[in-house]
Amino acid sequence: MKKYLSVCRKEMLLLLRDKAGLSMLFIMPVALIVISSLMQEFGWNSLSKDPSVQVLFVDNDRDSLGIKIKNGFIGSGSFKVIDSLANSPLTAITAREAVKKGDYLIAIVVPEAATRTMRSNVRLSVAKTLAGFGIGDPVLLNGIVFRDSVNVTIYFDPTVKTAFKNALISSVRENYYKIQTDWVFKTFNEEITLQMPMYKPPREAFNEVLRFSEEFPTYREVELIPNTTQHNVPAWTIFAMFFIVIPLTQSLIQEREGGSLFRLLTMPVSYMTLLMGKVGVYLVVCVVQTAAMLLAGVVLLPLFGLPMLVLGNDLPALLLMTLVVAMAAVGYGLMIGTIAKTHQQAAAFGSISVIILAAMGGLWVPIYLMPPFMKTFSLISPLNWAITGYYSIFVRGGSLWQIAPQALKLFLFFISTVLVTGIFHKYKHPLNI
Amino acid sequence: MSSNPIIEIRELTKFYKNSDEPAVNAISLDIFANEIFGLLGPNGAGKTTTISILCGLFPATKGRVTIDGIDSHTGLEKIKQIIGIVPQDIALYPTLTGRENLAFFGNMYGLYGSELRGKINHYLSEFGLEKHANKTVSKYSGGMKRRVNLIAGLLHDPKILFLDEPTVGIDVQSRVVILEYLKAINSKGVTIIYTSHYMEEAENLCTRVAIIDRGNIIAKGNPKDLLEGHPEFKNLENIFLHLTGKDMRD
Repeated sequence: MKKYLSVCRKEMLLLLRDKAGLSMLFIMPVALIVISSLMQEFGWNSLSKDPSVQVLFVDNDRDSLGIKIKNGFIGSGSFKVIDSLANSPLTAITAREAVKKGDYLIAIVVPEAATRTMRSNVRLSVAKTLAGFGIGDPVLLNGIVFRDSVNVTIYFDPTVKTAFKNALISSVRENYYKIQTDWVFKTFNEEITLQMPMYKPPREAFNEVLRFSEEFPTYREVELIPNTTQHNVPAWTIFAMFFIVIPLTQSLIQEREGGSLFRLLTMPVSYMTLLMGKVGVYLVVCVVQTAAMLLAGVVLLPLFGLPMLVLGNDLPALLLMTLVVAMAAVGYGLMIGTIAKTHQQAAAFGSISVIILAAMGGLWVPIYLMPPFMKTFSLISPLNWAITGYYSIFVRGGSLWQIAPQALKLFLFFISTVLVTGIFHKYKHPLNI
Repeated sequence: MSSNPIIEIRELTKFYKNSDEPAVNAISLDIFANEIFGLLGPNGAGKTTTISILCGLFPATKGRVTIDGIDSHTGLEKIKQIIGIVPQDIALYPTLTGRENLAFFGNMYGLYGSELRGKINHYLSEFGLEKHANKTVSKYSGGMKRRVNLIAGLLHDPKILFLDEPTVGIDVQSRVVILEYLKAINSKGVTIIYTSHYMEEAENLCTRVAIIDRGNIIAKGNPKDLLEGHPEFKNLENIFLHLTGKDMRD
């Protein structure tokens, strides 16, 4: 036991003197959490709070449709609408040029006579419908054809992300359908009143008949609305924990290449004691790292105006989850450091494999958005088990029972990595001789 | 020098993986207690392999080794308690201080507390390093590193000390300090097995030498006896070159 503690002390000293390694373990992940949360919170999510996206708006219609679409954008609070540049009213050509140059992300052009076309089509549609009830002349109406649909052109900068583009088009469409429905309703009333003078149209305007309410069912009594903090902190914490693979493999390989392991193997101490000393210290580091990241979520993020991290109801569940994730991360580092022959191999394979496992595991892109074959792959990523477990605690308010399957998988992963390390050493000398 | 061999090597053979040529080819050797035994040979001759097997770093492919009456197959852990090794590389942690390095390696030999502190202080003083004890090893000169490297193998007062090229690349002063100290501990009963490229150093230091080449022992004996057996050569280096040839080795 004394020798084990001495190995731990040595590892701790080596780690504490490695300033670059320490910053990679503690400062960089906290910076990642802050930056990524800020980007998400004040990016797309913040559009409703601060209309920072400028939309060029060319209203060639100069009638109610153009005005209503423009007001819809302004009223959404998500966009700043610009209709002139350098004191000149925008045209379709100048708006297109501005987007082409990359000065603006979006330009919307409402064509000339859009209102007239739309009103005409709505009126004809209503008249044709009423003709079916014997109101109006169906033969005459059947001879009239609809005008071409109104074509609202939207110019997008090529760098605009698909998700943002789709969200904007949906917003324009939603706005357009509202206007159309309103007009259809009004036209019906006007036509019926015209044909049947005794008809009294309802006083109320057309009301939305379908509404959506958002709820997030969780295990906790008080509902917790998921936010960027609740999603980002566990994701980046797991990512940082698995990046322990870099300092751990470096420690293993440096000891091997520097000759210290040569000396140690001639001493009355088992190789397993040396390895487990590293495991012990790096486990502690992982747990401290997690504590620092969670603390950043609770204390630091609110200082930047971000939501505060709400820890789950169940501290034992959080501790268990942290411990098994740390074990999985350290086990993975141990395995890579044992198998890799050089620093370069370990650093390259270690970091790239963690990035792949993180991407596969749904740390950056949610699994439900992945194609089916990727979803299958994601199930074998320990980072997926980790994020599922942490989400159970942080966004679902889960307890020990809910995280048990993920905790077990991560523990078994740790055992497997230790076994692989052991088997490797059975056939390959610790000095790679 | 005792007449009882403290190390008995019989038919020791080592093949590395993916190699058809043996690194050590059925060598047999007796090393007696209180000897300073020099294992000399060009690069790749098999010196480090032999020492590594004797230290229990890896097993031989064939053959038997007995150290202080203990069979290396069955009593390796006991053997590790009585031997010390000073590797060819500076086997220290560069970001730990000299004192921290020595404390850690002392702990691995089962030394703790005041006993360990006393030994560390003694050796640091003996090798003129007490002023630098709390500096990280990365800031040491080559000679200082070599001296700490040597102390790390001496802390537990080994009965047998293996030194693999202990004076490579150091200043004359450090070399003299190291060699004088080796003579001093040898006079107190420590058996020393030593490899070197420096023939003159070996000639002055060793009570007996073995010249090894391509895994085979091609000559062994007292340096004086070897010189008498080859009167045409002035020194051990000439005998060495005569026996091993002048071809460059990898």
